[in-house]
Amino acid sequence: MATFPKLKTGAILQYPAARGLRFANQVVRFLDGTEQRFRTAAAARRRWEVRLDFLDESEMAEIDLFFQENQGVFGTFSFTDPWDGTEYPNCSLEAGELRMEAVAEMRGRTSLMVRENVN
Amino acid sequence: MAVFPQLATGASTHYPAVKTRRSRTLVNTMADGRSIKLADAGADTAAWQLTYAELADSEKATLEDFFARMEGSLQSFTFLDPAGNLLSWSEKLDEPVWEKGPLIATAGGQRDPLGTMRASTVRNTAGGAQSVQQTLEAPANYVYAFSLYARAAAPVEVALFRGTDRQQAAVATDWSRLVLPGQSTAAGDSLAFGLELPAGCAVDVFGLQVEAQPAPSRYQRTEEQGGVYEARFQNDLLRFTTEGPQRHACVIQIIHANHI
Repeated sequence: MATFPKLKTGAILQYPAARGLRFANQVVRFLDGTEQRFRTAAAARRRWEVRLDFLDESEMAEIDLFFQENQGVFGTFSFTDPWDGTEYPNCSLEAGELRMEAVAEMRGRTSLMVRENVN
Repeated sequence: MAVFPQLATGASTHYPAVKTRRSRTLVNTMADGRSIKLADAGADTAAWQLTYAELADSEKATLEDFFARMEGSLQSFTFLDPAGNLLSWSEKLDEPVWEKGPLIATAGGQRDPLGTMRASTVRNTAGGAQSVQQTLEAPANYVYAFSLYARAAAPVEVALFRGTDRQQAAVATDWSRLVLPGQSTAAGDSLAFGLELPAGCAVDVFGLQVEAQPAPSRYQRTEEQGGVYEARFQNDLLRFTTEGPQRHACVIQIIHANHI
């Protein structure tokens, strides 16, 4: 199982970092104002925003390789939630595009969105 | 094939440089959130946005002439990734892309200077000098920095080479980075980079890297795709801004795609 790459420091992401939790519910509203709610997915889906700055060329190359190995959104990998250390074994990249900017020597910048897949 | 030009300094671009990879996947998302995916590997693209500033007249003329010769986005050319390691399989010396002397043996999975197990031992069991090398389909007369980390059980001298240019380098018992920078005097559309070991010698190597620039940057691991691409200009317009004498600026967009 592929694993999301860590930085040289051992960190997975940097500040500012964002994590989201998405449920999928549907609501049917009736004429009298009452509602009926039901789940359309079996579980909540997690999403992480990984923004990386001040990466050196080695770290940028690892992110680049990871994107290529996953073929963008196609592949699945294991992602460890940096907030609580929980490992989510079935995750994918959310976008089929990876933008890597070399701002200066040893200062690369990129960002990725990771999301948990529904089993 | 035509090759994207280097600047007078030997660099390919200035900072900031942006590289964008795009990959296409067909996704069928079900009502319950599950999805079925189909990868379209043939649609992968890599694109670069190169920002130039403070170009001299001669550098501007070189870029303009090249753009005119390619007729904008019409013709394809060889492009050396300015932010990449040009070698393929930088950590797998047993791949066929690495040409080895008949009595050279390699073994991967050795401890490397980063503390992981990604180095290789290269052993020359022959009675004479033997080499391990990779040939790049890249112009021989460009500026390159060839670098690798090496160590040996006892100090030994090896040779780094770039085409016909050679440089002796001392390998110590601790990891050190050996660098062969410069521009070859040879002409041609391909160039071999490698390491020659004397008879009976064994050396641990790691981080083999070739960059199209005068000095090496941090090591960048590669797999099948090295940093040599067949590419095109992404659009048909090249616009320079001149801020003063010998001070020109422009932004160039280049794309590599297997399907165009």
